[in-house]
Amino acid sequence: MALEYRALAFLLLSVCMMFADYRFGYLEKVRFGLGYATTPVYWVADIPTRVAFWIDDVLVSRTDLLEENAQLREELLVAQQELQLMESLASENSRLLALEKSTSVIQGDVLPAEIINISPDPYSKRVLINKGAEDAVFVGQPVLDANGLMGQVQEVLPYTSWVLLITDAHHVTPVEVNRNGERALARGTRSTATELELEFVTQTQDMLAGDLLVSSGMGQRFPKNYPVAEIISVYSDPGQDFATIRARPLAMMGSTRHVMLVFDDGEGSVPLSDGEASASEVSDDAVTGESISDESDEPGGSEAANMNDSGDSGANHIDASGPDLKRNEVSVEQAN
Amino acid sequence: MQQRSHATWVILLSFFMAYLLAIVPFPAWAMHYRPEWVPMVLIYWVMALPHRVGIFWAWVAGVVLDILEGSYLGLNAMALVIVAYVTLSLHLRLRMFSSLQQSGLVFALIGLNLVLCHWLQIATGQTVASNMLYLIAALTSAVIWPSLFQLLRQLRRSFDVH
Repeated sequence: MALEYRALAFLLLSVCMMFADYRFGYLEKVRFGLGYATTPVYWVADIPTRVAFWIDDVLVSRTDLLEENAQLREELLVAQQELQLMESLASENSRLLALEKSTSVIQGDVLPAEIINISPDPYSKRVLINKGAEDAVFVGQPVLDANGLMGQVQEVLPYTSWVLLITDAHHVTPVEVNRNGERALARGTRSTATELELEFVTQTQDMLAGDLLVSSGMGQRFPKNYPVAEIISVYSDPGQDFATIRARPLAMMGSTRHVMLVFDDGEGSVPLSDGEASASEVSDDAVTGESISDESDEPGGSEAANMNDSGDSGANHIDASGPDLKRNEVSVEQAN
Repeated sequence: MQQRSHATWVILLSFFMAYLLAIVPFPAWAMHYRPEWVPMVLIYWVMALPHRVGIFWAWVAGVVLDILEGSYLGLNAMALVIVAYVTLSLHLRLRMFSSLQQSGLVFALIGLNLVLCHWLQIATGQTVASNMLYLIAALTSAVIWPSLFQLLRQLRRSFDVH
């Protein structure tokens, strides 16, 4: 009989805890504290990967190194040439934007990080990175890899953080087509595939397979103009309201280990210029985007809402006091 | 009394190994086949030492697993408390079972654990409703159970945990 009561008591305790954590977020502090205790487990679990990388580094032949060196040199040359072109374009662009009296495009600082674990649940697409509160990581921080946007920080622990990938079914990324600026919302798929679905795109909007999608900066979460995905198929059924458009994320979700955390450098958040907003067509789209994202927050549970709230406060905090500290962090990282 | 306190570290170490195996990254296709290590280790210790490892251990083990997996606190704890309760009430019969029968019961228990976790995750919006593929883990757990049982029994006997 005592056993039944014990089991019941602990069941009730679990339910209360879950409710407090899910509904009110009372247990943020507890989670954070327990994060210290669980860090060694992650550290040990990551040992095989680190050893594999170390062996790769040690057991590489001289000819391979020379080859790689030559290849990297070549890539650097090409990249520098592109950079020169970019610089002239950037200055031209900023002159034009100055004419339009809008804010400049943000160029945030980045902090390199490594993925040390992935979520054990195959349906929730989340990864764990080796930077946490000690490195001033904040909830809602954008995460990139070398090829494109990867996700955003969902939970910050002392030395690690959970990152929600853009391919998770609960994540919606505001994007626009690079070619013509058509806006859309890219949601992760419900299957285990690493794909995005563009939501609420009408049959008449101009989107083609092969189009590059970049972040639009709507929602003020992600910086503008980072590459996000490439459209792989467009299917428009005249009987449906919206076209079915699938896209492949550019970030190497499954294979990369190195990612970057972006710190806003505080020069105004997202450039939503007056000139852009005055165009009636665009503002219409912006309004629909807004209402849709509001609506999608509700059924998604309060997790998304919580995330937005805390993310905004985090962003404010960074605007107020962050930039210098962040730069130091980054320079330290680079020196290492 | 002195013997009672000794060798708790063996139990803790086995749980630590189970946590490691539970979070070590697998390739994406193998994710569904990952056995549920922590519930299995818990079932063993509850079965072998019901006077020491009980509901409280199950609850603590579940909370740690929640933190490691980044799920809501209490989710795995609740599922593991139920698993421990069933194991505790059956432990005498469970010891008499053949290894095949034990595997069958482990299959049912792990299946229960998985279904509970999945439901709670859907209720809290952490994952989305999908196919029944997540239950494959119960099958792999049942297949692995006899060897895990032998291993843990060796461990328990050689370190004289009682």
